[in-house]
Parts: sequence; structure tokens; C-alpha cells
Amino acid sequence: MRAFAAWLGGTAILAALALTLDGYAADLFRKLLLVATLCVGFNFLFGIAGQLAISHIAFYGIGAYGVVVLAFQFGWPLPLAIIGSIVICGIVALLVAIPATRLEGFFLALATLAFAQLFSVVLLQGGEITGGPQGISGYAAPDYFGLSSGDGGYTLVIVAVFLMTLAILVRLDHSWFGRACRAIRDNPATAAAMGVDVFRTKVAAFTLTSTLAGVTGIAYAFTDNYLSPLVFGLEPMFLLLFMIVIGGAGRHAGAVIGAALLFLAPEVLEEWVGRHYMLGFGVLVVAAILFQPAGLMGLWDSARRRWGAR
Amino acid sequence: MTDLLELLVSVGEAGCIYGLVALSYLLVLRPTGIINFASGEWVALGAFAGVTLIAEGKLPWIAGLPLAVLAVGLIGWLSERLTVRPLVEGGASVLSPVLALLGMLVVYREAASLIWGVDNMFVPMPFGFGRVEIGPFAGSSQSFFILSVTLTVFFLVWLLFEKTVWGKAFEAVALNRMAAALMGINLKLVAVLAFSGGAAIAGLAGLLVAPITSVHFLMGLPLAVKGFTALVIGGVGRVEGALLGGLLLALVEKLTLRYAPIPSGFAIGVPFVMLILFLMLRPDGLLRAKGGS
Amino acid sequence: MGSVLLTARGLGKRFGGLVAVDDLSFDLNEGEILGLIGPNGAGKSTTFNLLAGALAADAGSVELRGAPLLGLKPHQIAAQGVMRTFQHNSPFSGMTLIENLLVGAHTRFNSSWISVLFGASSARDRERELRDRAHELLDFVGLAEWEGAEVDNLSFGQGRLLEVARALAGEPRLIMLDEPAAGLTLSEAGRLSEIIRGISARGIAVLLIEHDMRFLLPLADRVVVLNFGAKIAEGRPDEITSDPAVVAAYLGDAGMSRRAEH
Repeated sequence: MRAFAAWLGGTAILAALALTLDGYAADLFRKLLLVATLCVGFNFLFGIAGQLAISHIAFYGIGAYGVVVLAFQFGWPLPLAIIGSIVICGIVALLVAIPATRLEGFFLALATLAFAQLFSVVLLQGGEITGGPQGISGYAAPDYFGLSSGDGGYTLVIVAVFLMTLAILVRLDHSWFGRACRAIRDNPATAAAMGVDVFRTKVAAFTLTSTLAGVTGIAYAFTDNYLSPLVFGLEPMFLLLFMIVIGGAGRHAGAVIGAALLFLAPEVLEEWVGRHYMLGFGVLVVAAILFQPAGLMGLWDSARRRWGAR
Repeated sequence: MTDLLELLVSVGEAGCIYGLVALSYLLVLRPTGIINFASGEWVALGAFAGVTLIAEGKLPWIAGLPLAVLAVGLIGWLSERLTVRPLVEGGASVLSPVLALLGMLVVYREAASLIWGVDNMFVPMPFGFGRVEIGPFAGSSQSFFILSVTLTVFFLVWLLFEKTVWGKAFEAVALNRMAAALMGINLKLVAVLAFSGGAAIAGLAGLLVAPITSVHFLMGLPLAVKGFTALVIGGVGRVEGALLGGLLLALVEKLTLRYAPIPSGFAIGVPFVMLILFLMLRPDGLLRAKGGS
Repeated sequence: MGSVLLTARGLGKRFGGLVAVDDLSFDLNEGEILGLIGPNGAGKSTTFNLLAGALAADAGSVELRGAPLLGLKPHQIAAQGVMRTFQHNSPFSGMTLIENLLVGAHTRFNSSWISVLFGASSARDRERELRDRAHELLDFVGLAEWEGAEVDNLSFGQGRLLEVARALAGEPRLIMLDEPAAGLTLSEAGRLSEIIRGISARGIAVLLIEHDMRFLLPLADRVVVLNFGAKIAEGRPDEITSDPAVVAAYLGDAGMSRRAEH
């Protein structure tokens, strides 16, 4: 019941923000929601299922480019293009997952990194279809139910994508599936002895979270009505990883907090240090791994414990 | 024919650089089990050291090269002491040092952009722009300089591993940490030497490549990926494998660029395709580790 | 004793030139406690891993109530109702005790993703049911008061009991325990003996690998003795201790035979 109230309250606050914010603040809010959605998904894949997959942002890009290319280069009706793009993400994710999840630890990281880099090459070399280095601009979604892109109504769509992703992953996390993922992260051989199909579970976690990243990408595509290959490169992927580590890997709240912190920090810091805030992030991540491996959520836990003990 | 021979020289040049980066990974990976994503940044730091010492400091190469290599080796030593060792001693999971080094990648890179700025910089060639012909092979003086330095380094490292007690200690740690520790091998010393040596060799690669490419704070990552690809191709257990993998990667890359009927932009994708193929089909690489199962 | 649950016939495994398990055959009855003993390197652990699917056998067959078991993957064997513990405690850290047991019950969840996602009542009921059962099992091994605690806080002995409870959560027909008494204090081992008897009383067969004869002999219904990978004796504990072949095999291992005399 308390959980239900929390969800209701959270939804109300996000919806209220979506409808009241405007101009730059609204844009910032939309981007923050998108980043938080990606973080929640990547946290499930990396923090809970233990897969250091560097391809998460690439699937974000596949979703975004997929829907725009299908709808505006190939002329599909938008609903069909959205479904098509989700299906493409799912299939590509499955095709990557089946060989890649057989690889251990950082070999998975390298294989997915290679995949992500290949995706970047395809974007840059895609000619008219992907727009090359310039990307694609000058398209807009048709205005369904007043949810035209770029205003409060569209922000509601992004809020919905965020809440849907969070709800799906929180629910799965608290089920046999989430426990199986955590068990595999911790000790695959023991998990198998307990009856967990390690391979299938890994593939499922990868495919599901990657497809959700694709859905987030579809939402992103109509946020600016402009796609650039730079948005889907390695740099945002590093940031995503940093957000999870600083927020607290394996914790949904940590993913959201980490996303908010690292996404909003440059807004404040950029005035003072220019683009060198990345140096601060790097130091922060190394410090977090060394001194606070459970991230901000770990700090929160120990603070609460101390409070409770008093 | 001359076309092909000239191509081979440029393959050798690029392959040597990839091979050195692969060797840097290998030195760290074998005894510690850690894949150091920051290797590419060590390469960049080596190139920047060249900018400061040789281009701006006007030092001759003969002095600048050892100083630059030493400086980057020192950075490797610091990385191990400050980030890796506390994690290993604290019993953190094996992924923690990898993530910490990924963080260090950004720290190195951003620090470099802070110190040297974001513009392209240059390092003069030790033997000028001259064209050298050795038998049927022809290429720039730098190509031959890179080839000879790399082959010397590989020969020395190979000697170290094959012929000295230090190399044996390294191998012993790679095969079985516990047994090596029981035999009285100092694991901490091996780890710190691995990181210093790995950094020094990556720095050397950066310094060697600096005169033929422009030096830029973002130059590290592409070389890191190529070096790693070379390592996977050659096999993660053998010194010779690193060089072989580097040369093979460079060969495929240059041949695709020159002869394959695809847009040159797609040729950038060659190392990624090779990395994926080798990880999937032959994860042990071409040369298997000795004594490994 | 009940009917035959598991039959192993002509089981063989070599590692290079070393014959680890050689033409091993035995039966295991329903609800029976079968001890598997032998000197170090006799092939006990290899046999265990062959049955659990962690190693592939070179020869032979294993059937569980007539259904072939060899060649199945570990998770499939668990789904067939054969659960195991590990010689070294391997709890899933960062999880609570009850969550560890729910991973053990993994094969008992029959709710699909979809029903989980939509919060279907069938999925919720199953979760509640298995949580209750996990609670009962923790109570059975005496860990119920810590069910919400993280496993990392358990003592070694408690961790061992958790291993057993986690394997039981899979509702096995056969539970295989790999040296469960190793490292336990005398009182903890006594407690474990009671628990193992309780498991058998529930109709679950127990295959027990054990070094400690004092622990095993009073507990086992029957014992299979291995030496150099081959079966050298089989029978009730009192028959085994007087078997000349067994005595001869253990004479080489003075420590073991002295223990057996006690």
C-alpha cells in the first residue's frame, strides 16, 4: 500500500513538473528523465545482472534512428515505425546477446564496445539514410492527441516511458527473475546448481534492458527532432556507467539519483570550470570505487542505520 | 609490386604500434588478471611527454625518449599504488579495479586536456622527413625507426620472460597466484612492476606514433581499442602474440582500406569486426598461452 | 526402504591419464541416506560432480526413476529434483537468507514474465506460497530468526545450514551434500545430523560425501566405499567397518582408520 502511494505521489509530481516547467527548464527536465530512464535500465543490466555491457547507448541510438529512418526516410506511418523500431532493437539485442553473454566479465565489455563502435561507424557512413556526421533533422512527429513534440504534453510521454521502465524493472527485480539475475552476478555455477538457466537468464536480461533503451531512444527522437551520431557515442556510455557507480550499483533509487546528480552538475559547474567537469566526475568515480563502493545509496544506508541506532 | 612493398612497410609501422599497446595490456593482464582500459591514455601521455620534452623542451630524442618513457612508467606505478592495490588488498571483486581504471581513463584524459589544451600538437621526427630504402622496402625514416625500436623492445621483453628469473616469476604469478605466493614471489612487487612496465611501453608507443599523427587528448581510446584487438588476435598469453596480432590487424586494416570495395569510412570498422570475430570464434587467440589449459 | 530412486551404471571419468571414476555402479533408494566414502583422491567429488552435471562423464548412465540424467546441464538436473550443496559455502552475497532460499526454489516458480509484470494474482500467490515454505525451511534448520538478514553476516556453521536449506527449497527428491560436516564444531555437526535425519524422514533421499566417519557411520543407511575411482565395498555401516577390503584401503590412510575405530 505504501509502495502504491509512493508510485502515485511520484507520478503526480513528475506530471505536475511536466506541465508547469517551460523553456530551458522543461528541456532540461525532459533530458534528465531520458538519462534517468537509461540509467535505470543499465543499472538492471550492470548492477543487478552483473553484465558490463558497453552497448546500452548504442541501443538507445538504434531505437532513435530506427523510428526516424522508418517513419521519415521510408515513409512508414508513425505507430508502425515505433513498433518496427522496437522490434529491430529486440532482434539486434538478441543477436548480440546470444554470443556476447557467453563471454566473461570484461570480454563482454570489449565485445559490446566493439559493437557500439561499429554502430557509430554505421551512423557516420550511412549516407542519406542516417545523415552521416550531420545526423538527421527537420522532421517532426504528427500531433496525436495534442502530444506534439517539444511541449508539456510531450514531456508527459517521456514521464510515462520513465515510469514504465522503472515499474517493469522494479517488479522483475523483486521476482524470481531478478533474484536469478543477482544470483548469476554473484556466482554463476551456484546459480546453475539451484536450477537457474544461466545462459537464458543472461540473454533475457540483456535483450530486455537493451530493448527498453531502444524505447527510450524512440522517445528521445522527438524531444529535439534532431539526431546526431555524437549523442550515441562512447562518451555518454562512460557517463552512464559513472552515474550508476556513484549512485550505487544495483539500486534503482541510486540509478535515478546518480543520473540526476551527474546530469545536473555540469549546469552548475560549467560556469566555473568549463568542460573540465569531466575531470571531477572521473575523480569522483575512482574515489567512489575506492572508498564507497555502494555509492550514494550506501552512504544513505549507513546514515539511516546510525540514525536508527540512536 | 613496389606499391605492395610500400604498403607492407606501413603495415609494419602501424602493426608495431598496435603490438606495443597490446604488449602493455599483456604485461598488466597476465600477472594481475586486470584489463586496463586506461592503456590508451598512457599512449596519449607518452605522446604529450614528447610534446613537452622534445617539441617544446628542445631535448634531443636520445634524451627525450627515455625521459618520456620513464615519466609514463611512473604514472603507471602511481596508478597501481593509488587505485588498484587498495582494491585488491580490500578484497574487492575483480571488476572493481577495471572500473576504477576506466575512471582513471577519464581522469588522465581530462587532465591532459587541461595541461596541453584541446588543439592538435606535433612532435618532430628524430631523423627528419627523409625517405629511406632498405633493399626492396621503402618508407619514411620514422617507419623504420618505429620498426627497429619495437622489434628491439619485443626482443628484450621476450628475453626477460624466457631467460630471466624475473620473467619466470611473472609467468608463475600468471599461472597460479596462490602457488606463486607460496613459492615466495612478492605479488605486490610483480603487480607494481607490471603496471609500471605496461605504462612505460604504452608511453613508448605514444611517443613513437606522435611524429606521424597529431597529438590530441582524444587520441588514446582508438589506439586502446586497436591494441586490445591485437592482443585478442594474438592470444592473451604470449609476448610474440601481441606483435603478431598487431601486425595482422594492421595488415587487414590497410588491405581493406586499399583494396576492398567499401567506402573508406567503413574501413574504420575493421578492428571492431575483427575483435568481435576473434572473441566469438577464437577467444584464445592465435597463439595459446604456455602451460595454460 | 522404498523403491529405487537413482541408478548409476558403469560410470567412468578420466582426466588425461588419471582414472578418477572407474566403472562405478550403485543404486539409491527413495528416502535413503547413502554415504559415499573413500580415502582422499578416491573419486568421491568427481562422482558427485558427474551426478550434478558439473562434469561430463566419459562412460556409463545415471537414471532418476528411469529418466536419464547424464548429459543434462546442472540447471536441468536441479529441475529434475536433484539439488546439491557445495563443499565451500557459496551463499549469494548481498541477498537476505530468505532470498537465497528463493533462488534455491527457482525451479518451483511457474509464473511467466508476463504474469509477473502485470502482477497477476497467480504469480503473487506463488511468490507468497514459496516465501512461506522458505520460512518453514529456515525454521527447520534453525535460522528462521535471521531470515531478513544479509547472508554475509552468518557464521561458518550457519552458512552451512543455509546451504542445506537452500538446496531443500528446490523441493528435491534427492539432495546431495558435499562434505557438509567439514569445518563444523562437534555440536554443530550433531545438529546437522539431526537435520539430515529429518530430511530423510520427509522422504527425500540423501547422498552424502563425507570424510568424517564418526559423522557418517551413525547416520547412513548404506555406504558405498570408493578407492582409486572404483567401488570396493557396499553395505550397511556395520558391514563396511568389518570389510577386509575397506580396512586395507584405509590402512594406507592412518588418520582415517583411527577415526573409523572411534
